[in-house]
Amino acid sequence: MHLEYFILLTLAAGATSFVVVASIALIIRKAVDVQRQRRRTHLYQHYSAKLAELLLTDLPEIPPDSKTGGIARQYELLVLPMKKRMSKMDPGRRMFHRQALRSVLVDLALDVTGETADRLVYFFSSLGFVQEHIQLLRSKKWWVRAQAARDLGLLRARKAIPTLTLLLEDRNDGARYQAMQSLITLAGVESLRTILRIAKRLSPWMAIELSVIVMRFEDAAVPYLIEALKSPDQSVVLFSIEMLAEIGFVSAVEPLRALLTEYPSSVVQAKAAEALGRLGDKRAEEELLRLVGSPHPHLRTKAIEALGQIGSPSALPTLLRQFAKGSLTEKITTARSIASLSQEGAETIRSLASDPDELNRSVAQQVAEEFALEIAGS
Amino acid sequence: MGILESILDMYLVFVIAYFLAVNLTYTLFLIISYKEILHHMRHNLFCNYRLMVQSELTPPVSILAPAFNEEPTVIESVKSLLKLSYGKYEVIVINDGSRDKTLHRLLTEFGMFKSRQIYQPFIGARPVRGIYKSRMPEYKNLTVVDKENGGKADALNVGINVARYEYVCCIDADSLLEADALQKVVKPFLEDETIIAVGGIVRIVNGCEVVNGRVATVELSRRWLPIFQVVEYFRAFLCGRMFWHGFNGLLIISGAFGLFKRSAVVEAGGYKHDTVGEDMELITRLHRIKREKKEPYRIVFVPDPVCWTEAPESITVLARQRNRWHRGLLDTMLIHRKMLFNPRYGIVGLAAMPYFVFVELLGPALEFFGYVVMFLLFILGALNLNMALLFFIVALFYGVMYSVGAVLLEEISFQRYPKPRDLATLLSFGVLENFGYRHLTTWWRVRAFWDYFRGMSSWGAMQRKGFATAKT
Repeated sequence: MHLEYFILLTLAAGATSFVVVASIALIIRKAVDVQRQRRRTHLYQHYSAKLAELLLTDLPEIPPDSKTGGIARQYELLVLPMKKRMSKMDPGRRMFHRQALRSVLVDLALDVTGETADRLVYFFSSLGFVQEHIQLLRSKKWWVRAQAARDLGLLRARKAIPTLTLLLEDRNDGARYQAMQSLITLAGVESLRTILRIAKRLSPWMAIELSVIVMRFEDAAVPYLIEALKSPDQSVVLFSIEMLAEIGFVSAVEPLRALLTEYPSSVVQAKAAEALGRLGDKRAEEELLRLVGSPHPHLRTKAIEALGQIGSPSALPTLLRQFAKGSLTEKITTARSIASLSQEGAETIRSLASDPDELNRSVAQQVAEEFALEIAGS
Repeated sequence: MGILESILDMYLVFVIAYFLAVNLTYTLFLIISYKEILHHMRHNLFCNYRLMVQSELTPPVSILAPAFNEEPTVIESVKSLLKLSYGKYEVIVINDGSRDKTLHRLLTEFGMFKSRQIYQPFIGARPVRGIYKSRMPEYKNLTVVDKENGGKADALNVGINVARYEYVCCIDADSLLEADALQKVVKPFLEDETIIAVGGIVRIVNGCEVVNGRVATVELSRRWLPIFQVVEYFRAFLCGRMFWHGFNGLLIISGAFGLFKRSAVVEAGGYKHDTVGEDMELITRLHRIKREKKEPYRIVFVPDPVCWTEAPESITVLARQRNRWHRGLLDTMLIHRKMLFNPRYGIVGLAAMPYFVFVELLGPALEFFGYVVMFLLFILGALNLNMALLFFIVALFYGVMYSVGAVLLEEISFQRYPKPRDLATLLSFGVLENFGYRHLTTWWRVRAFWDYFRGMSSWGAMQRKGFATAKT
């Protein structure tokens, strides 16, 4: 047989086998998945009903001479039959049942509060899930670590706090974020100090995730955020500034003013200027007026915008000077800030709308339209 | 006769070697794409995209939708864009000198007035006639730009000039974005600040039920032509783009849906308006510029933010579309020929460009030449029928393998077609396309060479039916 024939035949056989094997594998996988899903659903329903019963049952009486803690003993009596039944199962079957039970516990934890939640937390621990999950936090697969961290938080496993703290330095963002969330649930706002101290190289995505956590605490988070302004990591400083501006707490003004004058990076200074603008506190005006003359365009723009947000008419002369000499983009920014300076600013924009300089006139007309200011000829 | 036989033998060896190389590449595509999709799904396992709607830190986005004679679909498309689930964003519709009532419909439907906004031409483009804003508060994030006709690339350049935000999302005015598409396409930028462009997957809307500008039920079309295209799109997006994404060698982000860092596009000079493959040309140019400047960058593809588009349902329109795509590819490869096999451009010059030139571009021509040779040999009575038949069977099986593999990738990952009947249809069309359809597309692509070299530069009109009637 020719070599060409042989090669082609091999190729044909390879391709055909691939298609056949892949299609059959897909069909088998689908069938197995359906079967497994059906069993899982059945077990899930079984344990949902069982746990609902345990959560609603009156606590059993305990002998007055019992040496162990009252409530814990009562919870243990509730869960004991389930533990005994599981201990009689073979390892494979037990694992399958425990998976279903774990899912039910986690799902229920999202919905219950008060004493019912306490029972759930106890069951989770008594059934050995806490220890098992702490082990999983050391798994090589990040998604296993992340899931374990999430579950430990949901089921308030305080025993896991040290391991979860270690997970804050995990190389995977997803695992780190789940650890942060769980620590917040377990230790409250105070864990923000540890989180912000350990955090480094926050990506914008991580910052978004963290911002949602911080915003839950609002004012209570401010002292930790102010503390984090001293972080050696610039991304943590930028994040803290952003959050302080978002929360809008007045005690943030002085530390932000200090950043404006002392921090060596113009990126951080610009962020601080932006935050001070959002806080709208007049105490920052002097520094901001100085920064309007900064050689860094980004910093200049942020200072101009902040002055507009503070809205003090005393900024008008500086802004007018900047309007006269700035680039087109800067002129537009400055004009917007001028328009924000109460009545005096609005009048200035109206007069600039008939300025002899065409560019100045166009910019003023655009801004007048944006601020719905009536101008001659409009 | 001896010389002729030697040439024929050499040709046969070349054909087999080429065939082997191409099909090994395709097999590699399937394997790597599978790994990449799996990685993507795991990576986003715990991702809560809703945070992007809640957080103030989410970066704002400008959506650019160029419109040329889009009267039947423009209102529905714009309304669908205004309903996206995202933090802060603006929609900029660029009317590219439409000859129908596209502009009139936009101005009346959304209560627009001519704005005094200053137009800053960061990128050169045809003159702008007017910028319009809405009087209605619910449409305050909508801007309509009316400009002289200059083509899609020119319209996008105007959109980039008008855009207020650093991230610009370029789409077709007749595309439908899923509500969370913007969240999913923005996320990579937030995770890696060196990313300059992200492409999303484009799926075919024909057959689906569209309600209020949203795809409510995903189904296959009852017509055969769109189904063939569904299989083709799976191959192109789930295999091809996913593979090149893995190596930062992606040379195309579909013009129907892509998100860019505005500063990078402005730095590159925007879209090239004298090519019909402006989407591919821009991406190739971005690679070229970044690699020449030795700046770290990434261009990525995300397989689950979905953009739905209407596929041609007539042979004539499909032929024009494929012809244009191939001319665009040829043009881009010629413009950037300097990059081919040039180690300075890394994976792009040494792997992506050679693949696009020798497989995507010249593949159809070589296939067509093969048919001609076979026919000539048959006439001359020199054709080894057994060999030809065997070769045909092997080619058929490999074609089937690649198409079925792409359908399988969809089935094990996103499973957007929930009905088993649809899966069976797709698998059978993966087989059927090798009996005529593939040869038809080969012919259209071969004709593109002729059209290109005789200077044809038209886009060819696409007949739109509107999304309300998408279920066909």
